[in-house]
Amino acid sequence: METSLVPQSLGQPGLGSDLRAFLAVVRREWRIFTRYPSWIIALFIWPLIFPMMYILTARALSGPDGSGLAIFMETTGAKDFIGYIVIGTTVWMWQNIVLWDVGFSLRNEQMRGTLESNWLSPTWRFSYLLGHTGPQIVSMLMFIIVTGLEFGLLFGVRLNGSVWMILLMMLAAIPSIYGLGFAFASLVITVKEANAFVFLIRGIVMIFCGITFPISLLPGWMQSVAKWLPQTYLIHGMRAAAFSNAGIKELAPDLIPLLLFGTFWLVIGYSTFVWMERRARRTGAIGQY
Amino acid sequence: MEIESLSQPSLNTQLRALLMIARKDWKVFWRYPLNALSQVMHPIIWITPIYFMGKAFSTNGQALGFAAYSGTSDYMSFILLGTILNNFIMTVFWGMGYALKNDMDAGVLESNWLMPVSRLLILVGRTLTSLLTTAITSLFMFVIAATLFGFRPTGNTFAAFLTALPMLLGLYGFGFAFAGIVLLMREANTLVDVSSFLVQGLSGSNFPVQSLPSWLIPVALALPLTYGLDAVRGWLLQTQTILPLRVEIGLLIVFMFVMLWFGSWVFFRIERRVRTLGTLGQH
Repeated sequence: METSLVPQSLGQPGLGSDLRAFLAVVRREWRIFTRYPSWIIALFIWPLIFPMMYILTARALSGPDGSGLAIFMETTGAKDFIGYIVIGTTVWMWQNIVLWDVGFSLRNEQMRGTLESNWLSPTWRFSYLLGHTGPQIVSMLMFIIVTGLEFGLLFGVRLNGSVWMILLMMLAAIPSIYGLGFAFASLVITVKEANAFVFLIRGIVMIFCGITFPISLLPGWMQSVAKWLPQTYLIHGMRAAAFSNAGIKELAPDLIPLLLFGTFWLVIGYSTFVWMERRARRTGAIGQY
Repeated sequence: MEIESLSQPSLNTQLRALLMIARKDWKVFWRYPLNALSQVMHPIIWITPIYFMGKAFSTNGQALGFAAYSGTSDYMSFILLGTILNNFIMTVFWGMGYALKNDMDAGVLESNWLMPVSRLLILVGRTLTSLLTTAITSLFMFVIAATLFGFRPTGNTFAAFLTALPMLLGLYGFGFAFAGIVLLMREANTLVDVSSFLVQGLSGSNFPVQSLPSWLIPVALALPLTYGLDAVRGWLLQTQTILPLRVEIGLLIVFMFVMLWFGSWVFFRIERRVRTLGTLGQH
């Protein structure tokens, strides 16, 4: 007599259980975020001090009589050099924080030794990444609001444009910024020590996207590179929305590429995750660090 | 019954421990060669936006506004020198406080603490390799940045080097105190980032402190690093210094002794408290 034993999972995956898993990850991440009081420093001090370094350098370049500032305004077309710099540096910080938070979310689990056991639970595995993203977007929104308030109250930076248009630009940027974060998170699991890659990606944004200067000052080849980076369009569009009262029509040349890049990066992010998941199961690399 | 320790600490054992710590860090550092590459490239990446921003403030390549504050229109030499000194400043900040955090996370801090080795020596040991690797990577960084942006020293390099020494030694005092705070607070990343960023920024690594808003100038002048950066630039680039060079060097020497004493005092006080609380093994 022949007997066969078919292993049967006790898990009953479904939309409801996936949603519960997603919410559990969100809740856990929120608890970790609020458990360390240093988040207060991160939320209130970073938005101020990172742009300050560039703003103070710009002040020094202006000279005591402000002669340099007149040249800067003529070159950039900006009326407020502080606002001009703050938008560029805030976009850079956004991408930087996403790379560290979302990009290292799976790696941190791996370091804690909990990734492999989580991986074995009968849930949609992409929810681990999405669960990290939810609190991250909320904390990032708070970060940007605090930035606006601090520079408005302390430095008198005033918006001439529409808050809705700024929000629209930010919404359009979410897919590309987080899509890149998803792809990065998946690669980090494979290559492990990835700090250097964060430095590389954020460095590219810093050099090419014009965070403190107009990209027209870059040499031709660098301008060509800048056109392939979504953050270039985000910075340009945000500046136009915040200080030039630009509407949808004026913002379209920035919005359309941002959405196209967003689609591209979401597809890349998800595909990389699926590839990493298969590879990790085959090689057993999930538990290694 | 008297309890007798089996350890026989002597100068030799202390030095051996120091070298072992340095050797371990050396091995770990070169195990990840990409980190070395990023240490070379990272400062260049940070100053590149300033290079292009400076162009937006210049006419015919001359940053005249900057020259009115600093005495030189060569803002990139000014900033490059500040960046190199910053690498070393960061090494002392990170080298001790962050190393303790890493040991905490790896779960080896408590066992290291039980060794019959001076705890200050453990801290100093953690900076030996990082100072050497910083020197190597800074040299590479300097060569690349000088090629890209230009660097035109016109003064006395040896005098500048001698002036930087008491500044760096005094920073060890800062580092000791800071390591103590890390032991107490445990979550060090934000603390290290924010404080070193603020100190670097306000001591004028990227700009002459004379250009700061008037309410920030007293803060900058209260930081000994301000005089260190200013004096080194005064020697190498012949910029206008805030105080006469002799006075600045004298201040740096006083700072060195005061900070070494104060930093170790703070560290021992906190370390004692942490041992009493029994939180050394927690993170």
